Amino acid sequence: MSDENLQNENIPLGSIKVSPNAISNIAYHATLESYGVVGFTSKNLVNGLAQAIVKDPTYGVDVHYDGKDIDIDLYIIIEYGTRIKSVAHSVSNTVRYHVEKSLGIPINEVNIHVRGLRISNLD
Amino acid sequence: MSDSMLAPISEINPIKSINGRMLQKLIKAGLTWLRTNQQIVNTLNVFPVPDGDTGTNMVLTMQAAYDEIKDSKETNFGKMAHLVAHGALMGARGNSGVILSQLWRGFARALDNLPVLENKDLARALAEARDTAYKGVVRPVEGTILTVAKDIAAEAELISPVTEDFIDLLERVVQAADRSVQNTPALLPILKEAGVVDSGGKGLYFILDGMLRYIKGQALDISIGTVQPLSEMVFLNTLETVEPGQDYEVIVDFRPHNSLDLPVFYGTLEQMGTSIQVGEGDGIYRLHIHVPTPNLYSPIDYTRSIGTVTKVAIENLVDQMENKNQACDETQPIVSPIEPGQIAVVAVCPGAGIARVFASLGVSAVVDGGQSMNPSTQMITRAFENLPTDKIIILPNNKNIILAANAAREVSVKDVAVVPSKSVPQGLAAMMRLIPDGDFKGVVQEMELALDEVQTGEITFATRKVEIDGVQVEEGQIIALLNGKLICSCPNVEEALLSLLSKAHAEQYELITLFYGADILKTEAASIAENIQAHFQDQVVEVQEGCQPHYHFIVAIE
Repeated sequence: MSDENLQNENIPLGSIKVSPNAISNIAYHATLESYGVVGFTSKNLVNGLAQAIVKDPTYGVDVHYDGKDIDIDLYIIIEYGTRIKSVAHSVSNTVRYHVEKSLGIPINEVNIHVRGLRISNLD
Repeated sequence: MSDSMLAPISEINPIKSINGRMLQKLIKAGLTWLRTNQQIVNTLNVFPVPDGDTGTNMVLTMQAAYDEIKDSKETNFGKMAHLVAHGALMGARGNSGVILSQLWRGFARALDNLPVLENKDLARALAEARDTAYKGVVRPVEGTILTVAKDIAAEAELISPVTEDFIDLLERVVQAADRSVQNTPALLPILKEAGVVDSGGKGLYFILDGMLRYIKGQALDISIGTVQPLSEMVFLNTLETVEPGQDYEVIVDFRPHNSLDLPVFYGTLEQMGTSIQVGEGDGIYRLHIHVPTPNLYSPIDYTRSIGTVTKVAIENLVDQMENKNQACDETQPIVSPIEPGQIAVVAVCPGAGIARVFASLGVSAVVDGGQSMNPSTQMITRAFENLPTDKIIILPNNKNIILAANAAREVSVKDVAVVPSKSVPQGLAAMMRLIPDGDFKGVVQEMELALDEVQTGEITFATRKVEIDGVQVEEGQIIALLNGKLICSCPNVEEALLSLLSKAHAEQYELITLFYGADILKTEAASIAENIQAHFQDQVVEVQEGCQPHYHFIVAIE
């Protein structure tokens, strides 16, 4: 995760800066409240190890800011037996809604990467 | 939905077990009742994304479940339940749909190959449905459909040992669902703030209630004549249409002395007016009705005779309508259908009103666009590529859009001609020559000739300081253009119109049509038109709602 700050607003009294980490946090919690999502995975092995060591609260969430647009990538595990397309769709909606509501910054893309299924029951 | 499958079956009372065929009918009943009340569920949506489609999503999910079983001849309950679960899974839409499909999945799994369902099995299946649904989320939010599923499972567990009658149990389950739904605001603050109950939970309640209503032989396709909770009363569209006899909207809150006899109550109200809705909450009833002026006080007098009136609100609908008429009508145009082989016209229109005029003249497709909002080539091709004909004429109606229209002609496999109309009036003049069944080349030629028969005037404001053709313009000033050429800058719109018309020698023409823009009020346009009529007494002055942005008026002189 980069350390650069997203400049949100310039107001006469000063400026408000929001770090990608804060956005990750909101996205992380919104995702966990979404129906059908049962967990996160790391984006790759290196990230996974690093995050396991520092107990990153935003494990499996990637926020990119290129100076113009904010993109969010989520690496998730879905419950077996749910319709993956519908779950992914509502995760994307929920995360976008919560982040935009909290920050007032429009989000460009929310990408859902389904990295696995958890099987609680086989039918 | 009226269907022999929905005939009452209460004569088989009591029911000790049900089979797959019965489940099939119950699913249909649940779906039907949910669909009847779909809008009620939609209006409850506040969580987590306020998009207001929970009802629709649940209906589509249940519809998919029913589609899976509707032709099935299966009698085994467990197998039928598996089919339902499969259909719901494949058709799951939205969050609530996914949860609903999980409930059905758990329900079916508990029953596996069970030939008939008894009350103890139902309790077990509802418990499994609950467990499966809860497994699908890391942090279950209480006060949602999950809570309702939990509460009905608990009720079924409690009641199933004491009754063998399925109807009895279902009735208790429906009551539990209702209580649970009513309690959701207590568990979820966001619902309390919005003053609603949970939409998904309410949807689940309607599905179960529909099943019960079916067994009891109650109607499933009409939701009138019932009392809804106060929180669910939504008076939508009160502004959209005012029919004759709907002069006033009257809302009365009252506390009846005795319990309300609904059929009599409704019967009396129907004598007074229309759009009747009755809501109830904590012993207070709310009555909503539209009445003609002579009956204005009748609903109040009547409710006073049967109870204590606590609050009255009256609104003048006619007046509201008049205010609404001031604003631009954004209704989309209804385009004429096209027969294969006919000539279809696609018109680029800068406003809803202009689009409606083009539609009334017979265009087959409309593309939004105009000054400073040029449509892309793709938008134009998309408008006509699905039309069932190969002969297409494009009217760009703006000189900046002619290029995009030509590009659309290049990329399309259809036979496309661009009649290069540089303005809306030119486009309209061309439309007058359209013969849908005529010879394609001939019609195009005719339409091109018509372009020069009309003069186009435009009234707008200058976006910057400039001097063109000897006319000095300051930024923000009102300017008049005749056939695209700047002719004057004026202090107000009316003077601009008058000098435009005299420059155009309007006195030598017959018809002056004024399309007023989005920022001109209807009444304003009418009074300006009156003044113009006074100056040009030999000409017919017509006023049309154009809704176009930027241009106060677009004028056709012909």
